[in-house]
Amino acid sequence: MQELADAGARVYALSYDEADALKDFQQAYGTTYKLLSDPDSMVIRHFGLLNTLIAEDDHPWFGIPYPGTYVLDAEGVITHKFFENNLAVRVGPEQLVRAVCGESISVEAIEQVAPTEANARVYLDGDNLPACVQRDLVADLTVPPGRHVYASPAPEGTVAVTLELDANPRIVKRELIRPPSEPHSLGASGEEFQVHHDRVRLRLPVTINGGLTVDNDSPAVTLSGILKWQTCDDEVCDIPASERFELSIPVEGPIMPSFMGPDDQDSPEPNAGKHFQRMIERRQG
Amino acid sequence: MTIEMETRAEQTENGWLDQDGFEGPFRPGNGPRSDPKGKFPTGPSVGEHMPDVRCIDADGEAFDLHADRGDSPAIFLFFRSAVW
Repeated sequence: MQELADAGARVYALSYDEADALKDFQQAYGTTYKLLSDPDSMVIRHFGLLNTLIAEDDHPWFGIPYPGTYVLDAEGVITHKFFENNLAVRVGPEQLVRAVCGESISVEAIEQVAPTEANARVYLDGDNLPACVQRDLVADLTVPPGRHVYASPAPEGTVAVTLELDANPRIVKRELIRPPSEPHSLGASGEEFQVHHDRVRLRLPVTINGGLTVDNDSPAVTLSGILKWQTCDDEVCDIPASERFELSIPVEGPIMPSFMGPDDQDSPEPNAGKHFQRMIERRQG
Repeated sequence: MTIEMETRAEQTENGWLDQDGFEGPFRPGNGPRSDPKGKFPTGPSVGEHMPDVRCIDADGEAFDLHADRGDSPAIFLFFRSAVW
């Protein structure tokens, strides 16, 4: 992606495939990131990522990692990790761009319509929802100067800022990602609570439900729900506020073939049959 | 760490539906669909220096992660396979 190139980020992808299998893939798809070959799963083991749920004689599946992604800064320090239990959910390019570039790249000013009120906006970080690719539903809240909203958990009787998605069988959601909060103590009692000031951004990772994407009658999915918050200053709390949202998001069919096997016709990889057979034979010794 | 296998599944016309509703030809808990349930190893932590990676690239040339990236930030993916 252009944003990653602009940030000077290099992209690497490692698997247990043979180098020539990766070369075939690279040529077929014109990939520009570097593909790395670890056919004996040495790197995968060194990182502690070998999928040990697969029996050692279960060829050719044994040797794959628990798939995941690391984001490194210029010094080589890991700044973010993306790992998922479900193989059908992969980190989305927008999520990687935000991790590499920080939030500032996507910050858009929210017009402060009423300087004493919080302003909210909910949107999808991305244009659509393709199968398997995770994207973030984002809620931006602008808190007026001199006021705060409560972080989670909120003090008893108050409402923490939160983003709730209505139940929808077409959407798989993960845990809400909250920004770091700041301590705030009440003058009178000295009680301390966690709050947010200025600009609050919540991210809810969502993926379109793979098995339900092929629905020609409904090429879009509705993401609806509610954003809740409560603004306060040191003396007074406003009554809890909320804003409902309803977004219609285009759904794309599966970007991965539904068939996982050595048949060239259905595989994403040229010469897949040959490579697949060799993977099995090599491991059977 | 004891790693549990995710095996919850429901058979459909086209294969198997997992607990998140994703459908595939393999039954969850088998072969390429051997997903962990609950906690599983995810390697080095945020804040740690990325261990070096030495292997070969798609051209069969020797590769060293930190030498190759120099002082660039990087994204490093472990994926399952480009063949299947």
